[in-house]
Amino acid sequence: MKKLKGVSPLFWFGAGYLVLLVVFAIFGPTMRHPFDEQVSKPFLTPSSEFWLGTDEIGRDIFARLAYGARISLVIGIVVQMIAVTIGIIVGITSVYANKWISIPVQRFTDGMFAFPDLLLAIMIVGVFQMGVGPVVIGLSVTAWPAIARLVKNQVATLKDREFVVAAKAMGANTPYLVVKHILPHLWGVLLAVMMVDVAATILAESTLSFLGIGVQPPEPSWGQMIQVGNLNKNSYPLLLLWPCLMLSLTIFALNFVGDGLRAIVDPKKNQAI
Amino acid sequence: MTESAKTNSQISAGGRFFRFVRPLVLRLLYGLVSLIFISFITFVADEVAPGDAATVRAGEKATVAQIELMRHEMGLDRPWPIRYVEFLGNAAKFDFGNSVVGTQQPVNKQLGQALPITMKIALLAILLAAIVGIFLGTVSAVYENKLADRGILSLSTLGVTIPNYVLLPILVYIFALQLNQLPTSWAPDGQRIAPDIYYLLIPVVVLALRPMATLTRLMRASMVDTLKQEFVRLSVAKGVPRWRLYSVHCFRNAIIPVLTAIGTSFGYLLTGSFVVESAYLIPGIGKVAIEAITQRDTPMILASTLVTGALFVIVNLLVDLVLPLIDPRIRESQV
Repeated sequence: MKKLKGVSPLFWFGAGYLVLLVVFAIFGPTMRHPFDEQVSKPFLTPSSEFWLGTDEIGRDIFARLAYGARISLVIGIVVQMIAVTIGIIVGITSVYANKWISIPVQRFTDGMFAFPDLLLAIMIVGVFQMGVGPVVIGLSVTAWPAIARLVKNQVATLKDREFVVAAKAMGANTPYLVVKHILPHLWGVLLAVMMVDVAATILAESTLSFLGIGVQPPEPSWGQMIQVGNLNKNSYPLLLLWPCLMLSLTIFALNFVGDGLRAIVDPKKNQAI
Repeated sequence: MTESAKTNSQISAGGRFFRFVRPLVLRLLYGLVSLIFISFITFVADEVAPGDAATVRAGEKATVAQIELMRHEMGLDRPWPIRYVEFLGNAAKFDFGNSVVGTQQPVNKQLGQALPITMKIALLAILLAAIVGIFLGTVSAVYENKLADRGILSLSTLGVTIPNYVLLPILVYIFALQLNQLPTSWAPDGQRIAPDIYYLLIPVVVLALRPMATLTRLMRASMVDTLKQEFVRLSVAKGVPRWRLYSVHCFRNAIIPVLTAIGTSFGYLLTGSFVVESAYLIPGIGKVAIEAITQRDTPMILASTLVTGALFVIVNLLVDLVLPLIDPRIRESQV
C-alpha cells in the first residue's frame, strides 16, 4: 500500500469515473427508457422525464449513451484481449525462436507497427461490411503490433536477469521459464499499457462509427451519435455535446488510470516524460 | 573521430556512393513489399466478403443469371490469385480500371481530382504542426519545469487526447455558426466566394492539432537532452548569445528525432483526413475512399488504399533522404 501514496489524484478521479461508467453501461440502457425505441417527441431538452433530452427521432439520449458506453467498453476490452494474446505470443517468439522465424516475425511486426493503424482498420472494416464483428477484427489486426514490440523489449531485458539465468542453469526448459519466470513480470506493465490502448481502441471504434462504417444503426455508439449531432449542431447543439463529453471524459480517465498504474508498476520510468 | 575519418578515406568514391544509396534502396524495397502486402490483404478481404463488383454493378434487382453473366463479362469468374496478379500488373502501370458504381468513371480520373486537395490539406497541416510544435517544444525545454513549460505540456496532452471528430464540430459551431466568421463546410468549385484557405482553415487546424502536440512533446524531450550536453556549456562560456545558442547550435542537434516523427505523423494526417474530409464535406481522397467503401466500389477501394499507402511510404522515404543531409552522424552510421 505504501506505493499508492505517490499516485496523483487524477488517478483516483479516473478510477472513480471508470467504475461509474461500468455501472452506467450495465444498468443505463434499460433503466428508464429503451435505447432503440421512439419514446417521445424529437429534440426535447433535458427534463425530469428524459434526463439528457431526446434525439432526432425521439429516442432517450441517456439510454443511448449508456448503450454506447456498453458497446465501446466491450469492443475496447475484447480487442485488447485479442491484441495482448497475439502480442505475447509474437513478442516471446521473436526473442526465443531461432533466427529463421524470429527475424521475419520482427520485420513483419515493425512493418505493421509503422503503418497507419486506422487506414488498415478502415479498409478491413470497409470490405468485410460494417458492424461490431468486423470492427473487432479490424481493430485487433491493427492493435497487436504495439503490444508485441513492448513484450519483445521487456522479455529481451528480463531474459538476461539473474533469476532467469539461475533458473536456466537449474535446468528449466524454455516454456517453463517463460510461464513461471518471465510472464509474471509482464502483467503489471501490460495492464498499464492496456488501459491506454483501450482508450485508443475506443477512439478508433468511434472514428469508424463516425465515418458510418463502424457500429450500424439501430445499435447506437458514441461515434455515430457525434455524427448525428454534427448534422444537427445548428438547431440542437446538446445532441452533439453529450456524446463528445462522454467520449472525451472516458479517454481522459483511461489515460490517467494507465499513467497512474505505470507509475505504480515502474516508478523510475514515470519521471522520463 | 579519427577512427571514422580513417575509414572514410579508405573507401573509394564509388564505395561511398554505394554506402549512401544502399539503405535507401533497401527502404524502397521494404516500402514496395509493404504496399504489396497491404493490397493483398485488401484484395483477399474483398474476396472473402459476401458479394462482389458484379453484384454491385448488376444492381439490386438483377437475377442470379444476370449476375453470373456480368461476372463472366468482367472476368470475375476466374480464380482470385490470377486476378490479383493481373491487378498488380495493372497497378504498376497506374491503371486501376473504372468504378463499378454510378457513372463508372475511370478510377484514375476520380483520384486525380481528389488527391491534390488532400495533399494540400495534409501539407498545410504538417507545416503548421511542425512550425508551432518545434517552436513550443523549444520554449518548453528552455523554460523546463517553469509555468510556460507546464502550460504547454497540459495543452499538448489535450491535443493528443481530443479526437478530431469532436474538435471539428465544436470549432465549426463556434467560428461558423455562432461568430459567423468561417464557412460551415467546403464549397464546390465555382461556389467559393473567397480563396481556398478561407475554407481550409478549420480542417487544417483540426488536422494539425494532434501532430502538433506530439511534435511539441518530442521537441521538448529532445531539446532538454541537448541542453544538457557539454558543448552548450562551452558555447555559453564562449559568450554565444542565448537566441543564437537555441536557434542555431542546439536546434540542429535537437531536430533529428522530430524530423523522423514528422514522417510518421504524416500517416496520422492521412487517416485524419478521412474524418476531417467526411465531416467538412471536402472532396479529397478520404471522402472518396469512404464513399467507395459504403458503395462497395472495389476498384476504387483498392486504388485508394494503394495510393494512401504509397504516399505514406514516399514521405517516410523522403525523410530518410533528408536526415543524412542534416546530420553527418547519420551519414557515418549508414554502412
